[in-house]
Amino acid sequence: MTIEFIWQLPTSGDGRYGDAGQTRRGERTASSRPPFTEGVSDPRGDRFNFLDHLHQIARAADLAGFDGIQIQNDLEGDESWIVAGYLARSSRRLKLLTEFEASRGSAVYAAKNAVSFQRFTGGRFAWQISQGGDAALRRRHGDYAADSERLPRIGEFVEVARGVLTQSPFSFKGQFFEVLDGGFNGPLANHPVPLIYLSGNTPEALRLSARSADVHILDAAPAEELKASVATLQGLAAVQGRRIAFGLRIDVLARETEDEAVHDAQRFLAQSGRAVGSTDPVVGPNLWAGFATAQTGAAASLVGSYGQVAERLTKYADIGISSFVLAAIPHFEEAYRIGEQVLPVVRSRIATQLSKAA
Amino acid sequence: MTIDIFWRIPTHGEPSSHRSRKPWRGDWFPGNDNLTKPGLSGGEDGTSYIDYLAEIARAAEISGFQGGLIPSFPSTDEPWVISAFLARETKTFRFMIPFQPGFLNPVVAARKTASLQRATGGRALYNIITGGGGPQQLWWGDSVAHDDRYARTTEFLDVVRGVWNGGPFSYQGKFYQVEDAGLPDPLSAEEFPEIYFSGSSDAALASASKHADYYLSWLEPFDALRDKFNRVKERTDVLGRKIQCAVRVDIVARPTEEEAWEEIRRGFDNIDPAALARFQGTGERSESVGAARQRDFRPTTINSYKDLIIEPNVWSGFSLLRGGQTQGIVGSYEQVAEQLDDLVRLGADAFILASTPHLEEAYRVGEEVLPLVRGRPSGSAVLRAVG
Repeated sequence: MTIEFIWQLPTSGDGRYGDAGQTRRGERTASSRPPFTEGVSDPRGDRFNFLDHLHQIARAADLAGFDGIQIQNDLEGDESWIVAGYLARSSRRLKLLTEFEASRGSAVYAAKNAVSFQRFTGGRFAWQISQGGDAALRRRHGDYAADSERLPRIGEFVEVARGVLTQSPFSFKGQFFEVLDGGFNGPLANHPVPLIYLSGNTPEALRLSARSADVHILDAAPAEELKASVATLQGLAAVQGRRIAFGLRIDVLARETEDEAVHDAQRFLAQSGRAVGSTDPVVGPNLWAGFATAQTGAAASLVGSYGQVAERLTKYADIGISSFVLAAIPHFEEAYRIGEQVLPVVRSRIATQLSKAA
Repeated sequence: MTIDIFWRIPTHGEPSSHRSRKPWRGDWFPGNDNLTKPGLSGGEDGTSYIDYLAEIARAAEISGFQGGLIPSFPSTDEPWVISAFLARETKTFRFMIPFQPGFLNPVVAARKTASLQRATGGRALYNIITGGGGPQQLWWGDSVAHDDRYARTTEFLDVVRGVWNGGPFSYQGKFYQVEDAGLPDPLSAEEFPEIYFSGSSDAALASASKHADYYLSWLEPFDALRDKFNRVKERTDVLGRKIQCAVRVDIVARPTEEEAWEEIRRGFDNIDPAALARFQGTGERSESVGAARQRDFRPTTINSYKDLIIEPNVWSGFSLLRGGQTQGIVGSYEQVAEQLDDLVRLGADAFILASTPHLEEAYRVGEEVLPLVRGRPSGSAVLRAVG
């Protein structure tokens, strides 16, 4: 099993401290106070914005040995497909895992845009299709579909996109999408369908993943708990005659020693305005629930020494996780730290286990 | 206002000259689906057609063009993707993105556009197209009828504008609804893109009059074009909105007129007879009024390239040499510049020029023709064409 490590791009903001969601490095707005005093000249003007920093993070992930970056569907930040294209030319091998909702428009048009991504990147484009927020938030974004329609719509979206990417002519008439004699020809024919990453914990979401996903992303939880989800979903996929891969969305806070990691974790909680020690966030070995959920979206974070974090990640690999979608604040500096200190250890442990098993 | 001159990015293939369809530089040309150049088609060496398109975009900006139109057809790469990919490696090139409103949720489109503005320092602009209709439209997954599509275009642009500056904006249209929508900060601080609008039907003009900055037409015989521009401007004046006019035109410009026509003659002599026969026939009908107008300006008997000269220095066979529009200007550098100035006098405020190969010709036209165009100095009155 090939393991992939994907680094999350913090499209809403990224800075050194726990309130990083409000910090956009490089961004200058009319209202923001000049960062330097009047006595110091600032050559930057308005030449930069936060996209330049996202570019730095993508380069960091590339240089530090990650296999991909995840570009969130961040409704308060820049649009994910534009960010993916903007970054694509600056990395030679990163997978561009791009998150969006099936409410974005025509599935045929999405597939056609995906072909250009595949042609221009050598097939590195991948899709993470999410269900979106609650009904009021979706209406703010022009989406009036009912809650119950969201998963069926993702199913149709995937079916139409796969159809036009792999068959010509392809016709389909569903509840949400329609195409007649579609399919791509000439230079657009025969390009790989973007790998499709789905998620969700309801029985309906699991059934959809069994049918349509290449990778099902699980929320961070203790490995023992996830083992059951993996088995259930692999069983559902087997009924469809398919096998799917599993991903894990988890944050990491790794330091040379466990003491340092715990110290920094508590400081992060204080910076993000939460009382330290009021509740016990530790729900498993080195696993802190709700740690940076507000900032990164991950349900939990591993907190520990480099060796401990590597060991926990290896444990997840043991139960069948092969795609790790990781984040740590600040995303730029931590990409180097995790890439240098943790990933090589995990990769080497997994390789050792595989050679023993062989 | 001064005249804006754009170039075209050859998304649908690039032969190395007007004379012959072979060899070509992209990985494809209409009528031949073979991938002949792995070096430009995503081969093992890691290069792909985007590398060549990047060269053209830089050639265009270095040569003084505003930017370029990036056409979208069923067999081409997509302009949203091309624009995002080239954002960081161009400086002044403006990305003119054609798309049909039916393909995107307008709130997503607004976010895409604002992000592209941020990625490029405000260099995105729209070419709103509403679709020729017929079977083609369902190929794209769109089943809305022709005139309804213009109503949808109007609603789409209502929503994009409504959410642009942050909202909160609510809208209850036939095609689109939003509630308390608005772009987030800092996306909401970006400038709204200029809108180039295509479409020749009455439904199109009604929609253009509400939202378009530029009404974009293919080149047509000059009298017809003058009438069309006057009609558009009258129509939109009545509706309370000043609109500018833009012309898409292919050109062949050479040091002498003889050399320019020789280029056309050689190209014409290499045309596949079957393609010429199709060209002379009525062709496949679509709901596009603009395409029908192009056919009507064409002679029915064609024995020589000269039969396609519909007025001095205007040739009506460009679509035989490469994909795209039919009418174009052929002549010496001075003649081409004069023709462009004639178009300015009859009402053009902007041009999208093209010539094959788009890379070398961007330099040639930028260096030899653009300096000869008088255009319209800033501050001079916009002359409405008379007679």
